[in-house]
Amino acid sequence: MKLILSDKNLDIPEINHSSIEFIDLSKLKIAGCIGCFQCWTKTPGKCVIRDDAVNVYPRIAKSNKVLYISKVKYGSYDTIMKTMLERAIPIQQAFIRLLHGETHHVQRNVIPKQAVIIGYGDISAEEQGIFRQLIERNAYNMNFESNRVIFVPENELEQIVRQEVLSWEK
Amino acid sequence: MGKIMIINASPRAPKSNSRQYAELFAKNCKLEAEYFCVTKTNHPDLCHEVERFSDILFVFPLYADGIPVTLLNFLKAMEAYAPKKKPVISVLINCGFIEPQQNNIAVKMIQLFCKKNGYPFGSILKIGGGEAILSTPFQVLVKAKIKKLAASITKEKYQTLQVTMPLTKKMYLKASTGYWENYGKRNGITKEEMATMKIEEESSP
Repeated sequence: MKLILSDKNLDIPEINHSSIEFIDLSKLKIAGCIGCFQCWTKTPGKCVIRDDAVNVYPRIAKSNKVLYISKVKYGSYDTIMKTMLERAIPIQQAFIRLLHGETHHVQRNVIPKQAVIIGYGDISAEEQGIFRQLIERNAYNMNFESNRVIFVPENELEQIVRQEVLSWEK
Repeated sequence: MGKIMIINASPRAPKSNSRQYAELFAKNCKLEAEYFCVTKTNHPDLCHEVERFSDILFVFPLYADGIPVTLLNFLKAMEAYAPKKKPVISVLINCGFIEPQQNNIAVKMIQLFCKKNGYPFGSILKIGGGEAILSTPFQVLVKAKIKKLAASITKEKYQTLQVTMPLTKKMYLKASTGYWENYGKRNGITKEEMATMKIEEESSP
């Protein structure tokens, strides 16, 4: 399964919806994680907040190719994407394992992913550096077997997304 | 003598480990300290308070490798508010992993916010094993580091500090497994149930 998570609506007619799922997070109702740990210790694999996030994190887990599209703020994903990624922790276990010599959470049934992350906005070189380091950390915790980060000004975003989608179709 | 605004930016502020770290800091700090929690609705109120203080200490957990959305949203509110007098911002961050350096990226995000918005940056304390360390004998190590953090802010001799459980990684894996197993037991579920590979109702991806 191929998944595009975007923090804004994009007009990409090239998306073949039979093989690629496009989710516009800005249209969904997703509350912030409250750090209750119930998805680890009471209802494992399920978040107790039953809003739209519970339809998104299983799709993240099932996808072998993901394209995340987010505005960048202070070197982080901006609010919409970060809120969703924080709500995706039911796909991990509470338990800790060693990965590349570091402690990380055990993943549940999460398919290893080829990830492309597009950060958009007016992003300084320093901010790009921090965002890249963030994605390197995500790779360990979100089961990315490979990742590529692309930065674009907002007005070029649709064009770049279109190119990525076309490369997936090849 | 300055005055410090301790801001707990944990998403579960009232019941958080960050609250306990903040309390320890307030107890050990010679500056007059006032404690606040970030909520969804109090950003403007907190922003108005900022000018009364010489220092801010943000206390928060690492969330998905970065700063929690609670804090991200508050920083955006601070950026829009822009007080004339800008306090020195210090950071006390904790993560559940044994390596305190897993907090580094989140600290860099705060430093970038400070740089972009003209806030002087102060000290850093990074805590590893932060979910459980206060319930272990190693809490004395945390208390000592929090004292050091407070002194560095009071004396304006800013430092980067870190603390974690002095265990091998193998021992840490065992200890954390026991910690989470007990957590589940209190909720009436077994280790095996907690270790399910299922996500929502599906059995396999």
